[in-house]
Amino acid sequence: MTAGTQVIELREALRQAIDEEMIRDERVFVMGEEVGDYNGAYKVTKGMLEKWGPKRIIDTPIAELGFAGLGVGAAMCGLRPVIEFMSFNFSFVAADQMISNAIKMYYMSGNRYSVPIVFRGPNGAAAQVSSQHSHCVEAIYANFPGFIIVAPSNAYDAKGLLKSSIRDNNPVLFLESEMDYGDKMEIPTGEYLVPIGKAKVVQEGTDITIVSHSHMMKRCREAVKELAARGIRAELIDLRTIKPLDITTIATSVRKTNRCVLVEEGHIFTGITAEVGFQVQQHCFDYLDAPIERVCQRETPMPYSKALEKETMPTVERILTSVYKALSKKL
Amino acid sequence: MNDQNNSQSTGSFFPSDQPAIIGALGKEKLIESLKKMLLIRNFETRAESAYQQGKVGGFFHAYIGQEAIQTAAVDVIGSKSWWATSYRCHALALLLGATPYELMAELFGRVDGNAKGRGGSMHFFTDRLLGGFGIVGGQTPIATGAAFALKYQNIKDQVAVCFMGEGAVAQGAFHESLNLASLWDLPCIYVIENNFWGMGTAVERAISVERIAEAKAIGYNMKAYTFDGMDYFNCYAGFAHVKKEVLETQRPVLIEVITERFRGHSISDPGLYRSKEDLKECLRRDPLLLLQKALIQAGMLDEETYKKIDKEQREIAVAAMEAADKSPWPDPITLEEDVFAPQGRI
Repeated sequence: MTAGTQVIELREALRQAIDEEMIRDERVFVMGEEVGDYNGAYKVTKGMLEKWGPKRIIDTPIAELGFAGLGVGAAMCGLRPVIEFMSFNFSFVAADQMISNAIKMYYMSGNRYSVPIVFRGPNGAAAQVSSQHSHCVEAIYANFPGFIIVAPSNAYDAKGLLKSSIRDNNPVLFLESEMDYGDKMEIPTGEYLVPIGKAKVVQEGTDITIVSHSHMMKRCREAVKELAARGIRAELIDLRTIKPLDITTIATSVRKTNRCVLVEEGHIFTGITAEVGFQVQQHCFDYLDAPIERVCQRETPMPYSKALEKETMPTVERILTSVYKALSKKL
Repeated sequence: MNDQNNSQSTGSFFPSDQPAIIGALGKEKLIESLKKMLLIRNFETRAESAYQQGKVGGFFHAYIGQEAIQTAAVDVIGSKSWWATSYRCHALALLLGATPYELMAELFGRVDGNAKGRGGSMHFFTDRLLGGFGIVGGQTPIATGAAFALKYQNIKDQVAVCFMGEGAVAQGAFHESLNLASLWDLPCIYVIENNFWGMGTAVERAISVERIAEAKAIGYNMKAYTFDGMDYFNCYAGFAHVKKEVLETQRPVLIEVITERFRGHSISDPGLYRSKEDLKECLRRDPLLLLQKALIQAGMLDEETYKKIDKEQREIAVAAMEAADKSPWPDPITLEEDVFAPQGRI
């Protein structure tokens, strides 16, 4: 470990981000189910109740609509809530407050009330939690003007982006993956921010562009490694922020590689990849040497069985198959 | 009115002493309140005619018949607290200081409108009015959040006030809000304005209890009161008591105000579910009429002065209408502005 760095889990990076912002701004508070006494369902807020007390680390009853809406009201009146959903699947219960109130308020009120609020928590599948706890929400919410949607894939980005999200004056959906909370990474000990709205080229390449976000970045990294072993140099882009979409970074890459595979954990119909793919063809039509390929979750509710769960999610094999198709090569 | 309505409206209300309130408030304040109620009535009557002329579009929900309630509430609580209400929001915006011009311009969809022509009839705002909210019950968690913010900021001389129709009582947001407010000792006053109709559905077909506030508050360990919404003095006495209590206890309170809307649910609703006789009957308890009578009896007002005030308020509404018609349309170039608030410390 080099000086000025620390090796920490992603959940600890999130905790540090919230903690630092609570020190910086006394209007920031955390509210959600089990965030206090229980130390967080996934231990993101571990130790925070002890440090900050019940005024700023607030356990709620199981009432997502109520506490999400309460957070929106508090944000309209000058506070900066960080609302934790134990799973983003529970945000569906709160959807009216998020959609009808949080994101429409600034515009609808003629700029009178801004809503600086972060909704954060695990999104998408964990391990065998079945149909009602596994949905990826980003494509649903991305259809609504007014949401900023952030989905980091590693501890460095998670910390810097969460700090930026808490400082943002708008509703931010901050999507984590339960499967990534324990991932360790060496990150700076000092304060830093990662700007919202900037994708990152995490692996340079010349033969094909692969774009993904959040937990699926792991599958993509594996696929890129496998491709490299076979002499194919793929460029890998981590969206980091889904909305606003950094199409510049993606288009710049595709104009270089002329081929593109888009990977997301969520479902294929009107998925994030549908939007990214459309924008890629708009920006890169004359540069594309092959149709854009997509690797997404199959069109079923999430099944429980390990054997089925694995099949419905994008796999390294499915990514490789799509890459070869886009390259017009045989696997 | 059907039997149930009669039994509700003749049930006991929060006790109020009309002569004592008249004495305490005095002529000047009471005439001022009458003026406000007449402004609301005239504003909405003019706005309705503008709607018929095609100057106003979309939904339009009149507060006509319910004016005494919010007028008394704002008289008591003042504009330095947080307020939220449903889409029936014209009156509260006027009472909290929005000008007739900016509201009329909003109805007309013009650039000088209260929300720059983006909100329309259902979404009026002031620096303390968090909105007219378009989803039934959607404002209840918002007002609860305002009360939470007051507690968080250690502000002890303000409250949050949340108005809703009786239809909102069937929504989950209402119940979650009450539970949170009671659990966390939030200074929020929830006011159910029971006008007996959720659009065309009579209250007894939607809500399983009578004396709604009293029945529901028990389940949330809250205090409840029932006011006569047609009687300014009863509302005034009730809100004065509740304000004092909430400031002292820093606990939420649930109020039901029995009232009548004299119009349909919205402007497109001819109200066919209500007989002419029923409507005629409730018009006899027009809050403006009741206040006028009381002030005449107290020697603070005569018919002529009433007519003069009414005319003045009508002229204000007409002038707002004429001016709104001259306000420019929003420039389409601004269409996509302000979806996001700018960055920087606020």
